[in-house]
Amino acid sequence: MLEIARVSVAYGQHRAVDDVALRVAKGEIVVVLGANGSGKSSLLKTIARVLPSAPGGSVRLAGREIADLPPHAVVEAGLALVPEGRGIFGELTVRENLMLGAFARRARAGEAANLARVLALFPRLGERLGQAARTMSGGEQQMVAIGRALMSAPDILLLDEPSLGLAPLICGELFRALTRIREGGIGILLVEQNAKRSLAIADRGYLMAQGRLVGEGDAARLRADPAVQRAYLGHFDAA
Amino acid sequence: MILLEATLAGLVLGGMYALVALGLNLQYGVARIMNLAYGEGVIVAAFAAWWLYTAGGINPIFGLALILPAAFAVNWLIYRLALTPLVRRAKLREQLEVDSILATFGLLFVVQGLMLVAFGGAYYSYGFLSVPVVIADVTIAANRLLALGFALVLGLALYLALTRTRIGTAVRAVAVDPVAAGLVAIDVRQVAAASFALGGALVAAGGVLVSMFLTFNANIGVVFTMKALIVVIMGGVGNLLGCLVAGLILGLTETFVATWVDPGLTLAATYAIFLAILLVRPQGLFGRAAR
Ligand SMILES: Nc1ncnc2c1ncn2[C@@H]1O[C@H](COP(=O)(O)OP(=O)(O)OP(=O)(O)O)[C@@H](O)[C@H]1O
Ligand SMILES: [Mg+2]
Repeated sequence: MLEIARVSVAYGQHRAVDDVALRVAKGEIVVVLGANGSGKSSLLKTIARVLPSAPGGSVRLAGREIADLPPHAVVEAGLALVPEGRGIFGELTVRENLMLGAFARRARAGEAANLARVLALFPRLGERLGQAARTMSGGEQQMVAIGRALMSAPDILLLDEPSLGLAPLICGELFRALTRIREGGIGILLVEQNAKRSLAIADRGYLMAQGRLVGEGDAARLRADPAVQRAYLGHFDAA
Repeated sequence: MILLEATLAGLVLGGMYALVALGLNLQYGVARIMNLAYGEGVIVAAFAAWWLYTAGGINPIFGLALILPAAFAVNWLIYRLALTPLVRRAKLREQLEVDSILATFGLLFVVQGLMLVAFGGAYYSYGFLSVPVVIADVTIAANRLLALGFALVLGLALYLALTRTRIGTAVRAVAVDPVAAGLVAIDVRQVAAASFALGGALVAAGGVLVSMFLTFNANIGVVFTMKALIVVIMGGVGNLLGCLVAGLILGLTETFVATWVDPGLTLAATYAIFLAILLVRPQGLFGRAAR
């Protein structure tokens, strides 16, 4: 269970994330929707500690405060981030990327089982283990990124716009994979622009604007909310 | 016969350059420290090997077993005490590179000054295994062959460690993307410190091996810094195979020019090749074009 409170991020004078509180339980998918520049990526990065947050905030994982840990210790604590732009090691092979995913001590014992699970989730990776990651297609690279994060045996998985730039077909494949990851008991915090697809698989959602959370609710309720439809789903109605 | 002899001598020299450059590649490629005091490590280790041999009767191969761990420890301390503050305050990699150039430039003069005080400016050498060996009609000193053998073993061990082990793969991951490395639970600061220290141990190994067959004095460290830089840039930053090939090219060129043209022109030839390669491939022989 991930619980954050009073989390803020400032770039100089500009507050990109302003006093945010949210929670993600085991085995649920929680989506954060927001326009470009609303602070979604900054929020995920600061939870994973690759971006410093303003003092006074709290990030708790299974009750333990992790807001003052370095990034590698956050992964050891059970939280993995798939960053915007994927952050895979392009020069290394798929196998090496997955092996590094299990670099955390917490992941060593279950490494073989986790690898089998990841390859069952993304069979395509199994055929490409020896290939340099940067030579894979966009969708396959996203699979490498998610697979690598899963190799660390996380309790909570953070995903920053995994569907960005992917064709609808592969996008659907990816979102189905997320529901299977949830079945394994992992809690997922998903940042997305694709409101329709993400609300379709999510349990709950938050709405973010200009660094603040401006709404929250069950995914079904958000889908039906006329204001949400106007702001986040309108694009799809028109399409 | 002269051709074979010169080739063998060039390979030995080139092997030394490649080994020394491998260490610089770790310090620069992984820890992002541009270490201008790097070549001083060659000379400190050479004096250490000389001292162990002449004062203690310890042959340089056993000397390696003492000097390598010591060099690792000293370089680790240098990183922790002198360079970590720079790493902390640098927001960008580029800033760290500039800061580290200034800091290690100072370190160069400190180390060189201490050695001048201790040993003066005279040239030193010692005679270990300087017996001729004949291979297929070519004569070469046994100590050179031994040096080449050890350079090969060390280089191969490093290559296997970096490509076949998890911790070695983690080192390469830090080199390509330190932020992403943190996301897979790699302690980036610790890996950087260890890589810097390992680089220092490799340059010390180069110093010990070189001291078995070359004369050295307290002033020539900077020559090794320059040559290591040339090899790293020529081979492509972060590329181990590039290091090997560029090192051998440099060693062979220098030996051929010294044998057939004029020993005074070796440095000029080195730079000519360096320039020629960079004109054709600015990213180095095996480097990838800039992102
Ligand atoms: N490194 C930075 N320096 C200064 N400002 C930044 C930096 N990164 C982000 N910002 C600003 O912070 C705000 C939030 O950015 P962020 O990337 O978190 O938004 P986002 O919701 O992820 O946007 P997108 O949907 O486009 O990915 C923006 O106004 C952005 O310009
Ligand atoms: Mg973003």
